[in-house]
Amino acid sequence: MAGSLKTEAVVLRSIRYGEGDRVLHLYTPHRGRVGAIAKGARKARSRFGGRLEPFFHLRLILYEGRGDLLTVTSAETVAAHPRLREDRAALDSAARACDAVARLFETDDPNPQVFHLLRNQLALLDRAPACAGRANQLAFRLKLLVAAGLAPHLDACASCGERDHLSGFSGAAGGVVCGACEASAFPLDADAHEFLVEALGRPLADAPAATDRALRQAERAIGETLEHHAHVRWRPAA
Amino acid sequence: MQAPPIQRLVTELGKLPGIGSRTAQRLAFHILRQSDEEAFALSDAIREVKSRIGLCEVCFNLAEGPRCRICLDERRDTALICVVEEPQDVIPIERTHEFRGRYHVLGGALSPIDGVDPEDIKLAELYARVEEGGIREVVLATNPTTTGEATALHVAEELRRRTPDVTVTRLASGLPVGADLEYADEVTLGKALSGRRAL
Repeated sequence: MAGSLKTEAVVLRSIRYGEGDRVLHLYTPHRGRVGAIAKGARKARSRFGGRLEPFFHLRLILYEGRGDLLTVTSAETVAAHPRLREDRAALDSAARACDAVARLFETDDPNPQVFHLLRNQLALLDRAPACAGRANQLAFRLKLLVAAGLAPHLDACASCGERDHLSGFSGAAGGVVCGACEASAFPLDADAHEFLVEALGRPLADAPAATDRALRQAERAIGETLEHHAHVRWRPAA
Repeated sequence: MQAPPIQRLVTELGKLPGIGSRTAQRLAFHILRQSDEEAFALSDAIREVKSRIGLCEVCFNLAEGPRCRICLDERRDTALICVVEEPQDVIPIERTHEFRGRYHVLGGALSPIDGVDPEDIKLAELYARVEEGGIREVVLATNPTTTGEATALHVAEELRRRTPDVTVTRLASGLPVGADLEYADEVTLGKALSGRRAL
């Protein structure tokens, strides 16, 4: 339906198109992921300036015509995140966060929780670039799983409900499993289990620290849950 | 239905960037209306450029032969290297007549989203070239985009570690001549302010 759409959005991706245009992948609070074209955006005197680059949090007016892509008619900056752009690790973390959102939330189904999570992650990387790293990235991904309705079972065996002797993780079962149910599981150390529980319970800024081994196991647990239940594969967290 | 050779031409033209099927058809009929001489000049030019143009063995710019014209030019400053993403980025820098050094074309920019890692572009070759010695300054002229900035940060960090005596600089960011402050984005305007100079 033709008309104007006013929305906030985070730019996930910005792709060169034609002579001077850009095609944007945007994540919005009430329209999920949308595609838009910004005509003339690559020209030096464009009224959009550089604000259509990835990681910008914008207030947009989009024209919705009959095509698949909306057209950007106005863009105002809410947050530019300039400091994260000057830090290699923060830049990399922001790119992986946007990629994770783009892969798991491909449709225009609204999910304001995902938008707020991504906005908070970018704001955190801008405010404290030093927190960029595997632990932060995994905590963000865990919260994305929750927003997608795929939160792993961490308090009891996902197969039989046993609360003790939890020693493995099964993507198929959707969580931690006990010794008796770990046929299709991989071993999960207590450290890795604790990291998953803590990372889910704490704000992103307080993502818990863990050993490399625990983080590797946590990443595998998150990856297998995602692959088994959403048929999506994320890039490595770091 | 078109005759198969016309359809083939339309299909091939339609593969060019920015050319849709209607434009491809219009171009195909234009070529058919041209004289044999004009039409064959186009096909000969395509054949010639594909058979004679390759990458310079030093800087990976486009070259007719093993080295490009800039690397062969002895008047250029050999101690100064300008790093760009693609061969077409050399052209606007040359048009300024402000740069008299040589180039290094990476063949892309780092992008974890697209799976472009350091080994996928000509970074090892750049480090080897700088480590060989005789380089005073490396100018990072990757695009001021997210991937271009990520590449510049990566290269600067590596060069500082490998060759601390070499000066690494980045193209200044600021407002384009003729632009309005009103439309400038906050990142560009912030960099323009922090990089202001005395008049």
